[in-house]
Amino acid sequence: MYDPENRLTDAHEPEVGTLPNEDGGRDEENVVKTGTTTVGIATENGVVIATDRRASLGGRFVSNKQVQKVEQIHPTAAMTLVGSVGGAQSFIRSLRAEADLYEVRRDEPLSIHALATLAGNFARGGPYFAINPIVGGVDEEGSHVYSVDPAGGVLEDDYTVTGSGTMVATGTIEGQYDPEMSLGEARDLAIRAVNAAAERDTGSGNGVVLAEITGEGVEIDAFDDYESAE
Amino acid sequence: MQGNEQQAYDRGITIFSPDGRLYQVEYAREAVKRGTASVGVRTEDGVVIAADRHARSPLIERDSIEKIHEIDSHVGVASAGHVADARQLIDVARRQAQVNRLRYDEPASVESLTKEITDYIQQYTQTGGARPFGVALLVAGIEDGEPRLFETDPSGTPYEWQAVAIGGSREDIQTFLEDEYAEEMDLEAGIELALRALASVNEDGLDATGVDIATIDVETEQFQKLSEEDIAERLEEFELGGEN
Repeated sequence: MYDPENRLTDAHEPEVGTLPNEDGGRDEENVVKTGTTTVGIATENGVVIATDRRASLGGRFVSNKQVQKVEQIHPTAAMTLVGSVGGAQSFIRSLRAEADLYEVRRDEPLSIHALATLAGNFARGGPYFAINPIVGGVDEEGSHVYSVDPAGGVLEDDYTVTGSGTMVATGTIEGQYDPEMSLGEARDLAIRAVNAAAERDTGSGNGVVLAEITGEGVEIDAFDDYESAE
Repeated sequence: MQGNEQQAYDRGITIFSPDGRLYQVEYAREAVKRGTASVGVRTEDGVVIAADRHARSPLIERDSIEKIHEIDSHVGVASAGHVADARQLIDVARRQAQVNRLRYDEPASVESLTKEITDYIQQYTQTGGARPFGVALLVAGIEDGEPRLFETDPSGTPYEWQAVAIGGSREDIQTFLEDEYAEEMDLEAGIELALRALASVNEDGLDATGVDIATIDVETEQFQKLSEEDIAERLEEFELGGEN
């Protein structure tokens, strides 16, 4: 079909810019990665996302101790960086641009389900190698957390964990989560989960970054240790 | 001399006349007026689109005269003007509706679909060698539980309406709608108004095979065409039928 301005866009491509054209996993040894523990918990009054702050190189060297692994990508949503730092950062920039474009064109923000779908499409369509973020946010329908896997799988849950510390952190939350819990209780639980992973997972540590998302917006704070976060 | 000058400005679509007009776009609007009318009525519980599709010969297969089209399960389009041009735009809208579902896993909003269509139309008023679309469309559907009704014209401008007519006798039908429209109508009253509006410019009355109607109601959010029997029933009830 005649499509002079390429308006009939591909659903797996961003509307702004293009997906990076490179082979996934190339030069693996020299890519800075977040071993990482990221936790997302949905409550009635909002979403809490907690992450550790460690970046590592080759799985043996702590290359950065103050990484912010959760970023606002939408007026009432945030996403975590998990996996290749470069891949995740460019992924976040693309999603943020798409969410802004959607909102300015349609005069309403992207729903969290639509945002997670878009993230899954990009993950599937492009070589954002080895990323496994959490998308969490609040919209008209309530609080949501989704995990997005590198093959584009998008799964919603009450709480979800990604990164190398997943097993430890999930164990902490399992049995403690209560759908009626307050945002503050969810915050404490998320901190405990990241702390547990930091103790036992070599890829996670160096404090915690917390994002609290309500219908009002996103607030992100960094803490050097777990006591001061509580 | 005056006449020759004017002719020069209507040769190229991308050329403004000295008084700031795009003659080819205006001629395209004339092409819309040569088509049979379509009307749209927005009510509290749904949108109605209706089109006059009377046949020029009794030998033509009625179903091959298409003036109302489903775009997605929650959106329909009625056209007036060049049917072939309408088909191109309808395919753009159908594709965009599916792209929206692929990208966002959400049904496309009626407003954003309309604007995709009008942005597409607009390119043909600014591209050398192209001809504008000789068709106007009514885009009707449900968005976030609310009925919406839009019009597109050959310049690529979107308009939103409570009730509107496009095509032949547009002015007369629009005046009729302005007199008769009430905001608190239900869907059935909307169907009646749409039929009465089309009948108001057909002295011989309407017959069920010569009218196409579709509704999208807020309850089901589904595009639904009325059957010939349903239309015949209503024409009789409203006494809008012709002699034969």
